[in-house]
Amino acid sequence: MKTTLNFTDHDAFYERLIAAHQGLTDEQSAQLNARLVLLLANQLGEETLLEACIDAARKPFGPYAVPKE
Amino acid sequence: MTQTPVQTGGYTLPEFEFVTPPELLGTAVGGEVGNGGKVGNSGAQRQRYPLVIIGGGLAGLALACDLAERGVRAVVLDDDNTIGVRGASSRGIVYAQKTLEIMDRFGIYERIRAKGAIWSVGKTLAGHDVVYEFDAGAASDSKQPPFINLQQFYLEWFMVDRIVELGRTDLRWQNKVTGFAQHDDHAVIEVDTPAGSYSLEAAWVCDCSGVNSLVRDSLKIGMHQARGIDCWCISDVRFKEKLPIERWTWVEAPFNDNRAVWQHLMADDVWRMDFQMGPDTDLEYVSRHDVAAERIRRQLGNDVEFELVWVGPYSYRAQLIETFRKGRTLFLGDSAHAMSPFGARGGNSGIQDAENLGWKFALVLAGQAPESLLDTYHSERRPAAQFNIMTTRRTARYLQPESPAEKILRDAAISLAKEYPFARNLCNTGRLSNSYIYGKPPSSKAQKHKMHGVDVGEAVQNVEFTGPTGLRMALVDLFRGNAAYVGFWNGSPATLSREIILLANRSAPLLRMLEVDTGKTGLSTVRDHAGKLARALGLQAGKPVFCLLRPDMHLAARIEQPNAAKVKAALRRALEGKA
Repeated sequence: MKTTLNFTDHDAFYERLIAAHQGLTDEQSAQLNARLVLLLANQLGEETLLEACIDAARKPFGPYAVPKE
Repeated sequence: MTQTPVQTGGYTLPEFEFVTPPELLGTAVGGEVGNGGKVGNSGAQRQRYPLVIIGGGLAGLALACDLAERGVRAVVLDDDNTIGVRGASSRGIVYAQKTLEIMDRFGIYERIRAKGAIWSVGKTLAGHDVVYEFDAGAASDSKQPPFINLQQFYLEWFMVDRIVELGRTDLRWQNKVTGFAQHDDHAVIEVDTPAGSYSLEAAWVCDCSGVNSLVRDSLKIGMHQARGIDCWCISDVRFKEKLPIERWTWVEAPFNDNRAVWQHLMADDVWRMDFQMGPDTDLEYVSRHDVAAERIRRQLGNDVEFELVWVGPYSYRAQLIETFRKGRTLFLGDSAHAMSPFGARGGNSGIQDAENLGWKFALVLAGQAPESLLDTYHSERRPAAQFNIMTTRRTARYLQPESPAEKILRDAAISLAKEYPFARNLCNTGRLSNSYIYGKPPSSKAQKHKMHGVDVGEAVQNVEFTGPTGLRMALVDLFRGNAAYVGFWNGSPATLSREIILLANRSAPLLRMLEVDTGKTGLSTVRDHAGKLARALGLQAGKPVFCLLRPDMHLAARIEQPNAAKVKAALRRALEGKA
């Protein structure tokens, strides 16, 4: 998992992401985020990398039970 | 054995005649007399049989049929006198290609094809939209289609008929097992019948008695269990209206309060409709025929005439025992593993348990392989069961989101799937049963279909070619009548032929060697005009390869640059149960 800057233009990305949420209800925003997560995850694709990203995102909220087998 | 036809749910199904077992007639001759010639509780002598199968469901019948087909005798004890356990309930209905190939080997595929509904197109729907569809037939070289739908009792019936025809199995209906004790070299089984009780001894026991196994409990075998919160109401519905013969799965069906619905055609114009219910549903209420009929009217419209054949509620559970072999006892089907029915992994996996074990018993009982070969049943089939449980758990979770966040992710996958192919794979309405690749860690990736040669441990499809006698045949036709390995060699280099022929002669009947296409070496030759065998095995012209197939048609070894010593070593490793 990359933890140093990898964006070609980070400010432009952030502005674009916020713009995409404009005018949406909370529920629609949540749906947009979910669609975006799935689209981005498919760009990465690799299982251990995705797991590392999920774990990093979860970090502030404590451990979680990973389904076994 | 006599069958009496009985009418139930608009079907005519057989009831099998109870025959007083030899133990209760004092004429038992089936096996050797048990240790010390002990006297059973009814006064008859206790017999020891080489192999006793408990339970005549899909797994038990498939094992009996596999063994009989390979020339092995067995006793089957079944507590009922009919096929199926719930009257006209359809139960397991989707039979996957590997199962159909096994049935072709048993010689009953044509009956299944004639009776069942063949399909390969599946559609996943949400609301009124088709999210995506697939055609599973496109990538297959097998003689069998990807799927045939058939009520479970028909498949069981066809197997019973075949077992009777083969004449090697002592099928004992209404023989209920009431007690079980295992010793070092045998087990003692107590049996209750309409004519009284008796006990028998078994050198080996195959427990196929289902989720509530008495044998499993009496051996105190550890078991992982998880009860699902998901409830379904199943309706078997007969109507004449023609719907497409496709598998339709609604993630969200408008006519079922936006819960999931499955729609499948089976035999005799009966449709199988599975309705997902809310978590706190009153199962008795939703299974009432008037309530079920109202659901069907909402689905099909008010003007379709139909007849409810059977309605029943199901809540699903997962369970998996720690060991599939304990001493003289092996566990198959639901007594070893149970799971949600998504992807048709219950019945298919029970039949594939039987397929995995049948030839191993045939070789061990004939003294051709060491007993340790039986341990590979555990090491191969338990991971397969784990994989099935994991796969069905994921489907169940997709179909029953447990939080608003989960629901949002599911909605996102559905909305993306309408536009982008990648997201279709995230919409999980069941991953349909494939045969398992032995020796590989379980993963959804490992189950992908390959066009150019199977991996070691993977099943070879039942492809057709021209046999040594010049007649068209399928791969399963090479695997009847015994439990032999089959070696395919592409005849290169020709200088090897003397060595290979010598080895083939020395290894008979354990190994049968066939040459593909060249016909220059003096071995029996098959002609592969369509190239299906070459594609299945990964044979390429000018590249010397020897493929060793197990009696269950899984690839045991692929030997590049073969010689007789390498082939011999591969066969020995396979018989010892080593990869």
